[in-house]
Amino acid sequence: MSDFYQSGVITTLHQLGKSSLERLESELQGFARTRPIALVLPALYSEFEGPAMPGIVRELAKVKYLNEVVLVLDQASEQEFARVREFMSPVGGEVRIIHNKGKRISEIYETLKRNGLDPGPQGKGRSAWLAYGYVLARAKSDVIALHDCDIVTYSRELLARLCYPVAHPSLDYVFCKGYYSRVSNKMNGRVTRLLVTPLVRSLQQLVGQHGFLMFLDSFRYPLSGEFCMTTDVARTNRIPSDWGLEVGSLAEVYRNYSSRRVCQVDIAATYDHKHQALSADDANKGLMKMTVDICKSMFRTLASEGVVFSDGLFKSLIVTYLRQAEDTLVKYEADATINGLEFDRHEEARAVEAFTHAVALAAQAYMENPMGTPPIPNWNRVKAAIPDIFEMLITAVEADNK
Amino acid sequence: MTDFMEMIFEPLRELFMQFKAFLPGLLAMLVILVLGILLAKAIKAILVRFLTAVNFDSWCDRMGFTTLMRKGDLWTKPSVLAGVIVFWLLLIVTLMVGLSALKVAAIDQMVGQFFGYMPRIFSAAIILVIGYVLSGFVSRAVLITAANSGFHYAKLLAETVRTLLAVLILAMVMEQLQIAPSIVLAAFSIIFGGIVIALSIAFGVGGIDAAKRVIERETAEKRAEETKDEIEHI
Repeated sequence: MSDFYQSGVITTLHQLGKSSLERLESELQGFARTRPIALVLPALYSEFEGPAMPGIVRELAKVKYLNEVVLVLDQASEQEFARVREFMSPVGGEVRIIHNKGKRISEIYETLKRNGLDPGPQGKGRSAWLAYGYVLARAKSDVIALHDCDIVTYSRELLARLCYPVAHPSLDYVFCKGYYSRVSNKMNGRVTRLLVTPLVRSLQQLVGQHGFLMFLDSFRYPLSGEFCMTTDVARTNRIPSDWGLEVGSLAEVYRNYSSRRVCQVDIAATYDHKHQALSADDANKGLMKMTVDICKSMFRTLASEGVVFSDGLFKSLIVTYLRQAEDTLVKYEADATINGLEFDRHEEARAVEAFTHAVALAAQAYMENPMGTPPIPNWNRVKAAIPDIFEMLITAVEADNK
Repeated sequence: MTDFMEMIFEPLRELFMQFKAFLPGLLAMLVILVLGILLAKAIKAILVRFLTAVNFDSWCDRMGFTTLMRKGDLWTKPSVLAGVIVFWLLLIVTLMVGLSALKVAAIDQMVGQFFGYMPRIFSAAIILVIGYVLSGFVSRAVLITAANSGFHYAKLLAETVRTLLAVLILAMVMEQLQIAPSIVLAAFSIIFGGIVIALSIAFGVGGIDAAKRVIERETAEKRAEETKDEIEHI
C-alpha cells in the first residue's frame, strides 16, 4: 500500500486500502456503455513464444468491458500471423490483428510515405500510431488504453485501473499514465531512476522552474508503457517513432491539454517485463540507444518551449546530471537496504557513467541537428492529406482478418 | 497403281501447299507478337516511371482511386496498375494485329469487330473515371452542405447521392459498351422512376399540410396585394 500524497501538477491516483477488481470491472462495464473502450496492444511475434503473451491473453479472456482489442503484430510471417489469430481467439469482443509486415499494411505505409507522411521505422511508436488510426477509423470507441505485451506479471486489475480514470464520465481526465514499482529481488527501471528523474532535476537547476519539467517531474514513472486516453488525444497528438515515444507523448499531452485533465494511477504492486542490456559501449543499441533518444526528445521539447541550449549549458548539464544521479543512487541504495533488496552499487554506478555519456551524445546530436527526426504526423493531418485513408486502413485490416 | 499413289499424295501435296502459303503469315504473326510484347514492356516501364515522376500515385490517393483499388483487393501502386493495364491492352492489340497477319477471313472479321469496339471501351473508361470523380465531389459537397445546415442524416444523404450517381454512371458505361442495352435501360428507368415516384408519394402524403400551408400563404399574399391597390392614382 502506498501513501496518499499528491505531488506535482497532475493528479495521482493511489492504490489505497483493499483493491476490489469486481467493483472496478462492474463499474467499467457501466461506463463502457456510454464511453466504449478499445485496447491497443503493440506486440512482436516473439512475445507470443515467451511467457508474457499467454498470460496476458488468459487474463484478457476474462475482461468483459472492452469494446474492441486491436493488436498490432510486428516481425511476423504470414504463418505466424495466422497462429497469432488462433492464439487471440479466447479474447472476447471484437479482436482485430494488424499485420504490420503484411502486403496490405506495407502498402498503406507506402501510400503515407509518398504523400510526405512518413510513419518512421518499425517500432512501438509506429505500431501504436497505426492502431490509433484504426480505432479512429472505426469510430466505435471513445477511450483507448495501451499496454506493452512483454509484462510477465500481468493481471487484469492493471487494465481496469488504467482505464477507470478516463472511462469514468465524471472524472474528466483525458490522459492517464500507469505507474508501479519495478521491483523483483532488486530494483529495476534504471533509466527512470537514474536517468530521467536526475536529468529533469538537473535541467530544473539550470533553466529554472519550467512548466514542462514540472509536468514531467510529476510522473512517478514517466517511461511506463501503459496509458489510457480519449480518442481526441489520439487524434491530435503526434508520436515520436523512436525511443523518445513516452517522453514525446507526454510532451504532446502537456502541449495540448491542461495538467488538471492528466492523471497517473497506481496499476500494479509488482511489475516485471523484458530487460534490456545496458550496452554501454554501443550507443546504437540496448539501453544506450534508448537513453540517447529520450534525452534528445527532452532537449527538443524544451527548445520548442523556448529554452535556449548552448554549448556551455550542455557542459554544465553533464556535470550537474552526474552529481544528481550519484545522489539519487545513494538514496536508492538506502531504500534497497531497508527493504532487503539486492543492490549492486558498482553496476548502478556503471549505469550512471553510461547515462552521462548518453546525455553528452544526445547534446552533441542536438547541437548538430536541433530539429532531429520529426514525429509521426497526427491523424488530423493524415486525413487532410489523404481523405480516404481511414477507409483504406479498414479495408486492409478487414481483408487481413478474413 | 500410279492413280492410287496419286490419290495418296495429292491431299498431302495440297496440305503442304496450304501450309507453305500459311507459313509466312504465321511467321509474321510470331514476329509481330514478339515485337509487340517487347514494345508493350518498354512502354509499360516508361509509363510507370513517367507517372511516378508526375506524382500520379499521390493524385490517385487524394482523388480516392487508390481506395477504390483497395476495395477491389488490389494492393499495388496506382501507377503500376496503370502500367499493367496499358501492357495488357497493347498485348491484346498486338495479338489482334498478329492474328490479322494470318489472312484468315473469319479472324479478319473478328479483328475488325475488335477494333470497331475499341472506341467504345475508351469512352466507357473515360465515363467511369470522370463519373467516379464527379460522384465523389458531389457527394462530398452534399455532405458538407447538409452537415453545415444542421441536417441530421447528412452522411446518409451523401451516401445515397453517391450510390445513385454510381448507378447512373454504371448504366451509362454499360450502355456505351452495348452490354444488354435494353435491359440496362429498362432496369435504370425502373430504379430511377421508382425512386422519383417513391419520393413524390412520400412528399405527397407526408407533406400535404406543408404544401397546403405554402399554397395558402401564397394565395393570401396575392389577395392582400390585390386588395391593397384600391386607390386610383391620378
